[in-house]
Amino acid sequence: MLDLALKDLKEHKVRTILTALGIFIAITAIVSLGSISAGVNELIASSGILGSDYVFVMKSFEISEMIGPGGAYQIEDIEADTLEELKSLSGVDRVVPIIARQFGGFFEVDGLDMDNVDMFGAENLEFKEGGWPENEDRGAALGFLPASMLDVVVGDYITLNKKEVEVMGIFEEGSGAYDLVILMPYDYADEIYETEGGATQIIIEPEDVTLVEEIKQTIEDEHDDLDAMTMEDALSMMEEVTGTLNIMTFGIGFIASIVAAIGIIITMYTSVLERRRQLGIMKAVGALRRTILIQILQEGLLLSVASSVLAVGISFFFVDLLNNVLLGGINLAVITPVLAIGAVAYGVLLTVISSLYPAWIAVKTDPIKAIREG
Amino acid sequence: MFELQDVCKVYEMKGVETHALRGATLEIRKGEYVAILGPSGSGKSTLMHIMGCLDTPTKGGVFVEGRKVSEMNDDELARIRREKIGFVFQAYNLIPGLTAIENVALPLRLGGHGRGESQRKAKEVLRKVGLGERTTHKPNELSGGEQQRVAIARSLINDPDAILADEPTGNLDTKSGKEIFELLENLHKKTGKTIIVVTHDINLAKRAHREIRIMDGKIVN
Repeated sequence: MLDLALKDLKEHKVRTILTALGIFIAITAIVSLGSISAGVNELIASSGILGSDYVFVMKSFEISEMIGPGGAYQIEDIEADTLEELKSLSGVDRVVPIIARQFGGFFEVDGLDMDNVDMFGAENLEFKEGGWPENEDRGAALGFLPASMLDVVVGDYITLNKKEVEVMGIFEEGSGAYDLVILMPYDYADEIYETEGGATQIIIEPEDVTLVEEIKQTIEDEHDDLDAMTMEDALSMMEEVTGTLNIMTFGIGFIASIVAAIGIIITMYTSVLERRRQLGIMKAVGALRRTILIQILQEGLLLSVASSVLAVGISFFFVDLLNNVLLGGINLAVITPVLAIGAVAYGVLLTVISSLYPAWIAVKTDPIKAIREG
Repeated sequence: MFELQDVCKVYEMKGVETHALRGATLEIRKGEYVAILGPSGSGKSTLMHIMGCLDTPTKGGVFVEGRKVSEMNDDELARIRREKIGFVFQAYNLIPGLTAIENVALPLRLGGHGRGESQRKAKEVLRKVGLGERTTHKPNELSGGEQQRVAIARSLINDPDAILADEPTGNLDTKSGKEIFELLENLHKKTGKTIIVVTHDINLAKRAHREIRIMDGKIVN
């Protein structure tokens, strides 16, 4: 009977296209948003800064300051004397200041102590060419994307804060979050950005893991203008961000699903009403209720499989467009196999559930009334 | 083959009751060729629909081959319609999107038979009703007489015991109408199937072995 279902879909092209469009839009929305969510999760997981037992210190900020152009880079720097005070805290092993600045919209310049790159999980990064600058060097190591965008090789110069900086190394493509950064020695970044010995962020490694909470507490008690975060705080903050993103994806996906489901119900219901006479004839010549039900559900199944698969296919194109054109080559959005298969399964389930009511109306068709009244 | 005992059928529309059948009792034996005559609104079609298991009576007993069908559910009635009875309507009632062969094969497909097997049988039956060359035409590409032949072929596809034809010549010109009657007559002669035809045409009705007249929902002879 699948051939009859297919024939019926072909017979009513406009109705078929409209129903398919509803499913297509919902699934494309879900996959596209889901791909951003999945990509952000992967990016966070690949970020080397999530070392183990550090305390991260920044100037206190309101969430509202993080929003808008410049975002996190609008947060004030920590002054040099505060940095010195933190270095003298008891129980502290390493205190690593970082100067972070935005570059070219998507990239970040980080000035840090080149002897302590292990704190960021960056010590094993592969270089496409060149290598790490030394602390006393006046140069920078570039991620793959800023290097490609600026079209530079080792030995060329880039302009940071109106000053010429030599390119000393370029990371291999596929270094996760390091594809997006420009790393340079702290002292040189201090000079370039005129931070006068200050820092955007300070990472503190305690002498002993058990001291993490104590150091955090001491900093917050002694410095009202500072926020100290442990690894646990940072993780829960990131979980909050990804959680919000996931809820947003779910919310928009849910709304898109409701709209699609209403569309499916309306078009399938109209289709059943249009074919009332045909359904009456089928019943008159011996169709069982189950046969009619299967016939309508099969139409929904064919429609949903075709439009969901197409939606996932088109989403690959959208995601590619988003990553390469809008985000300049950052693989922020990722369509995982689970997302692709899950979206098709969801599309099919959504359509079959939405087809149940129209199918039930079809099943209840009275053959005599349907044939007589049409 | 068919037995009706004091069958009543009441339709209710917008609170108004219409009595289509008022205690109809009759028996039609296997292999009979019967014509049902009566004026418009006398209850002929309702009688046919109830005998053909397309409708259930409000009151009374209906038996098909000794089985009480008046108390059967939708699916049980559908099975009887598919296996025991072939129905021919005045307006042909073919599915417009399907070709002649697909329309004829439909009852077999609904019974779970495969496409190839169903279409082979359908082609054979279409050949028997003289439409062997028009199998791939859609209903709108066929004349009224041809459409009715397709409908008769569809009613025969499951090799039912009885053919119920509700004014099968009502939409046809005299020549086509006569041909359809001849087709039904030949069918009766060759296969011995029970044929019940509702008609207005007294001349055509006289060709049947028995006439049943109905008036105001009651059998009058």
